Amino acid sequence: MKTDLSPRMKVALYGLMCVLLIPFVFPTWWMVTSSVKPISDIFAFPPDLWPRRFDFSTYAQVFELQPFARQYWNSAYIAALVTAGTMLISSMAGYAFARIKFPFSNAIFMVVLLGLLIPSEVTIVPLFQMFLKWGMINTHWPLILVPIFGAPSVFATFVMRQFFIALPVELEEAARVDGLGRFKIFWTIALPLAKPALGAVAIFTFLHSWNLYLEPIVFLSSTQMFTLPQALTQFTDAYGGAMWNIQLAAATMTAIPVLLVFIVAQKQFVEGLAHTGLKG
Amino acid sequence: MAPVTLKSVRKAYGDAKVLHGVDIAIADGEFIVLVGPSGCGKSTLLRMIAGLEVITDGAVEIGGRVVNDLEPKDRDIAMVFQNYALYPHMTVATNMGFSLEHRGASKAEIAERVKWAAEILGLVPLLDRYPRQLSGGQRQRVAMGRAIVRNPQVFLFDEPLSNLDAKLRVVMRGEIKGLHQRLGVTTVYVTHDQVEAMTMADRIVVMNAGRVEQIGAPLDLYDRPANLFVAGFIGSPAMNLIGGEITEQGFVAAGVTLPLPSGTAARGKATYGIRPEHLILADDGVPATVTLVEPMGSETQVTMTLGEHRIIGVFRERLSARPGEIIHVRPDLAAIHLFDTETGARIG
Amino acid sequence: MSLPAEPMQQKRPFWTMARRDAAAGYVFIAPQLVGIITFVLVPLGLVFWYSLHEWNVLASTFNYVGAANYQMLLADPNLPSVLLASAIFSVGLVILNMSLALLLAVLLDQKLRGLVVFRTLFFSPVVVSLVAWTIVWSFLLQNNGGINGMLAMLGIEGPNWLRTPTTALISVVVVQVFKNVGLNMVLFLAALQGVPKELYEAARVDGAGRFKQFRRITLPLISPTILLTSIITVVGSLQVFAQIAVLTQGGPGMSTTVLVYYLYQQAFQFHFFGYGSTLSILLFVIVAALTFAQWQLRKRIVFYEN
Repeated sequence: MKTDLSPRMKVALYGLMCVLLIPFVFPTWWMVTSSVKPISDIFAFPPDLWPRRFDFSTYAQVFELQPFARQYWNSAYIAALVTAGTMLISSMAGYAFARIKFPFSNAIFMVVLLGLLIPSEVTIVPLFQMFLKWGMINTHWPLILVPIFGAPSVFATFVMRQFFIALPVELEEAARVDGLGRFKIFWTIALPLAKPALGAVAIFTFLHSWNLYLEPIVFLSSTQMFTLPQALTQFTDAYGGAMWNIQLAAATMTAIPVLLVFIVAQKQFVEGLAHTGLKG
Repeated sequence: MAPVTLKSVRKAYGDAKVLHGVDIAIADGEFIVLVGPSGCGKSTLLRMIAGLEVITDGAVEIGGRVVNDLEPKDRDIAMVFQNYALYPHMTVATNMGFSLEHRGASKAEIAERVKWAAEILGLVPLLDRYPRQLSGGQRQRVAMGRAIVRNPQVFLFDEPLSNLDAKLRVVMRGEIKGLHQRLGVTTVYVTHDQVEAMTMADRIVVMNAGRVEQIGAPLDLYDRPANLFVAGFIGSPAMNLIGGEITEQGFVAAGVTLPLPSGTAARGKATYGIRPEHLILADDGVPATVTLVEPMGSETQVTMTLGEHRIIGVFRERLSARPGEIIHVRPDLAAIHLFDTETGARIG
Repeated sequence: MSLPAEPMQQKRPFWTMARRDAAAGYVFIAPQLVGIITFVLVPLGLVFWYSLHEWNVLASTFNYVGAANYQMLLADPNLPSVLLASAIFSVGLVILNMSLALLLAVLLDQKLRGLVVFRTLFFSPVVVSLVAWTIVWSFLLQNNGGINGMLAMLGIEGPNWLRTPTTALISVVVVQVFKNVGLNMVLFLAALQGVPKELYEAARVDGAGRFKQFRRITLPLISPTILLTSIITVVGSLQVFAQIAVLTQGGPGMSTTVLVYYLYQQAFQFHFFGYGSTLSILLFVIVAALTFAQWQLRKRIVFYEN
């Protein structure tokens, strides 16, 4: 509803949005500033929006208390593998469901969609048993295989299918006349044109893997193998109390890189997510 | 360049039959236009020649070779699509060279062929642009460039001008015709626009409901339509068709009797056809009540009621008649068509 | 002996175009299909199989007990509280999330400068690591934490948010809303921008005010998006685990023990795999039933579809 607004209305809207922003922005601010406060200042009253004293040793301690670099690498490479694998598998399946005529395609699509109704929380017990049998407990295999083939990739397949359905079929017919087979049509015509959908798939797949928490705590047991979300909860003193400033330093290091990437590429991020098959 | 032969070609989607046995022999270098109302199967037929639709039954031959089970790429055809189907992520030059790239042509060879095609079509300054930066007419030209670049045996056009405005359509019509005259490649062209069919074709194939109604040169179809469907489809405004009976006294229709040429032997129920421009204003003619007068400048189109029939006449004269007035018209006896009402077939 | 006359037909190769293409289709879907079967459908079958067994890993017992686990489920004194917590969490989350997302989307769809900055900031928690976000809120919601500190400066004495049964559940909902509302906001915004401008102009000519335009044009036209996002949000709300684990560990008491958390405790803390599987089946049934119900609703309340 883009009608011109009166100046008074504009001020009111800006004011409202600024107030609404507080719970979205303040936690991140508080995380970063508190991560460089000495432990004694962390619960100071009145609260300090800017640290009165700085203590950067918290960041060093993160690496001393845990193999944090290793854990960072674990999370990063798992998320990268899951993202790449999902993009490949889902774009292929989504393309076939949208474009290729083969017997039982509708029935198979329904079976695949069932995956959306079965989040890994439902199947975590047998998954644990399966990976136990395969000797994959305390390895990263479950964290890679389950998302690539499970519910998140079904969602990605759905998004890709919606996108490919909307792509003009004449482009592919022209490519057939031009001498391309199915695989080449997919690779050189359909996939390059699917960049917006692929971008969206990449973003939410990456975030899903990056945020995974139940699976790591079920499948992983040694700190060397831990992923970041799991590691973040491990910064406790001998009595189980949280070492807040160190924990927040670790949290800051986990959150800020992704946040920066997002801010640089926010247009592609937001519009990629918005303009995919989610419109119904 | 090659002849194309269709032998009792059929198409069915499950139980739904779309084409009921089509036979067409297209000569080498001929420009054939498939025309018919939407849903008549003309596009399906073209796509079967291209290899984009499976042939349910019958045979499609290109250059004497049955191509039913060949991929489009192995049929040596090129196709221009209705919405051009240019690859949006490739430049004009890449679009045009794309098919050669996939046939193992060398870079130099591709560049040479693309340059040749671009020169013919006036696309040289546009080669580095992307499709989205082009106008409709330019896109149309690129689509044609992509087709000619490979020097195929057959060109297939699927309603290529329907996305252009009226003025550009006339220009492009001329360009396609000129291209055909220059290259002499066998061309199959699908359109629903009978003006395009009339102006471009060597021969027209009129299709209706999955069948061929008539094949012939444009003016033959116009002058001697083989049946009621072709009579009504070819020509604009359409031929006036009046149901009635052939008798000794003339053609008796509801509320009016029309003259017949002497020597009409047939008798009984029939349909009387007369083109609008073959109605002549004459004081000794049949009286008709004017309902609408549309002056076109060069001619005047008059809608009138003749007996109980609504007919259209086109006259060279500038008519000042108003709705409700009565004028007298006489059919040109040399240009009367008679059809069997039951079968639709031409009589005589 | 004479051979029967060969019928007049061409010999067709087995690999016709249609067959080749169908084969390509199967190749394309094969990885997904095999994956779904291995990592989703077979485990679902196993969950059901396990749920018919009494299975304690520590005591290494695995006995077929029929429906005993289901009887135990119905008699489980914790179940009402678990279901109630799940219901409050899901309903609260969906209502808060959807209405806040719609409000933000409408605000961002106005004719104002600098909205991209606001959009970016409202969306930013979506990309912050879930556990990091939850830890910060856990820190803020401590009895002597930032929020109570702020409240104290205003002269208000805040509750011990995470240690009081009523506020603990509300806190978990609110933390999750702020985390993910940006996603729905962006989807709503795209839907709002997809409504043809002419419709609003026509409505204004017809004399409809802002509110009426919103109710009679905007809402019906974006209803497919609302439905789809609500399904995703509901299903997502039933999967909430990390937030509970970090903020409250299901407490105080069982006030924040939602179904997934309860299932995790039974299976992986107390090692009752059989009963945990029964709870998994319950979770699946709830997810499936809610999704189905929402698709049914689609016919009634979604006014407009492409």
